[in-house]
Amino acid sequence: MRRLGARKVTMTKKLDVRGAKCPIPIVKAKKEIDAMSAGEILEVHATDPGSVADFQGWARMTKNAILQSQRTEKDETGHDVYVHVLQRKT
Amino acid sequence: MVAGITVGELLERADAAEDLLLLDVRNEDEFAAWRLEARRPIETVHVPYFDFLEDAERSMARIPANREVVVLCAKGGSSEMVAEMLAEAGRRACNVEGGMIAYGNHLESRPVPLPPGARHEIHQVLRRGKGCLSYLVRCGAEAIVVDPCRHAEFYEELARGLGARIVGVLETHVHADHLSGGPRFAAHGRAPVALDVGIELVPAPGHTPDSKLVVVAGTHVLSGDTLFVAGVGRPDLGGEVVPWAKELFRTLRERVALLADDAIVLPAHFASSAEIGADGIVSARLGDLRRTVPELSICDESAFVRAMESSARPAPEAYARIVRVNRGLEDATDDLAAEWELGKNQCAASAHGR
Repeated sequence: MRRLGARKVTMTKKLDVRGAKCPIPIVKAKKEIDAMSAGEILEVHATDPGSVADFQGWARMTKNAILQSQRTEKDETGHDVYVHVLQRKT
Repeated sequence: MVAGITVGELLERADAAEDLLLLDVRNEDEFAAWRLEARRPIETVHVPYFDFLEDAERSMARIPANREVVVLCAKGGSSEMVAEMLAEAGRRACNVEGGMIAYGNHLESRPVPLPPGARHEIHQVLRRGKGCLSYLVRCGAEAIVVDPCRHAEFYEELARGLGARIVGVLETHVHADHLSGGPRFAAHGRAPVALDVGIELVPAPGHTPDSKLVVVAGTHVLSGDTLFVAGVGRPDLGGEVVPWAKELFRTLRERVALLADDAIVLPAHFASSAEIGADGIVSARLGDLRRTVPELSICDESAFVRAMESSARPAPEAYARIVRVNRGLEDATDDLAAEWELGKNQCAASAHGR
């Protein structure tokens, strides 16, 4: 069995861009990703439905991150929140 | 701050074939689903805004030099950023204010030519981004609106400019592709009293069970979604293609067939800018449509139903919600309305615009 101390902990950072319109979600996400270290996760919470295809498009383009997953959640008021999970590449 | 251009100014310049380069910076999906159209083709380059964020130099290199670049996105925010980058690099660039949302909401109106001495005046209101047409019919100091979009203030303003007051609202049918402006008018639900002389309603079920033709002055037919200048309305939006197609067949054979060749058809939609005439109006002589619209020549009911069945296709998801709001069963905020109304109307049988 491996010792607990050797387990690599993945840092997850949350970026709240609810209410922001494009290009703000991608501009801010890019800034965060650029400052992160390899393997770290960025979870972006956005309300703009256009962000779903925007993050897919940007992830295809950028060398710094991969788009791990996308999901839709509901906020307290029942509105859709689009969650984009990105991982910083090396 | 980079210079802005309104959708109205852009369309006017593009219609006049001015030398412009349109740079569309939306994502692939949005660009594939809905494009800005003028009456002449606009030279368009597609480079998503996030490409500019990632590799500004390479993205910039994809845009021909020495051209005036008009930058467009979904709402006007990303295009402003890209236009600023271009301007900083010494390019002539401006931003389309409000983006495709503004394009979808842009309205313009033109008077329809009527014979000299006519009592009525008809103004066609074009919603070019969605391909929706609505009408203001004036008679003296009173006017009615037919199939208004939700931008009631546009029609009120148009009526004011003509020295008329809107006294009634008519709908050719319950619309599924856009929210009706009907309930937003003070005159909503009021019968168009003084104007009813010279306006005739002809039942025309088929596209929907409640469809009708609004005949003005005996010569001009506001045909709703029953007949377009390049085809007929789809009878499959209610999910009952066979019975509705049969109704549409009867409407075309028994109602539309009785109208004179010289009747002028003024529809509620167009599918492509090519349908806009040289005078900026979407209209056609019925006699001409009898030659050019194949569905009007099908004499056999089962052949007509087969043609309609083969053109049936799924309706956009938002249509069911829009119908509920237009029936008064549900309310919609302006934000929701904007989201549901994205894209062109899909109310014509698919043979439309062939």
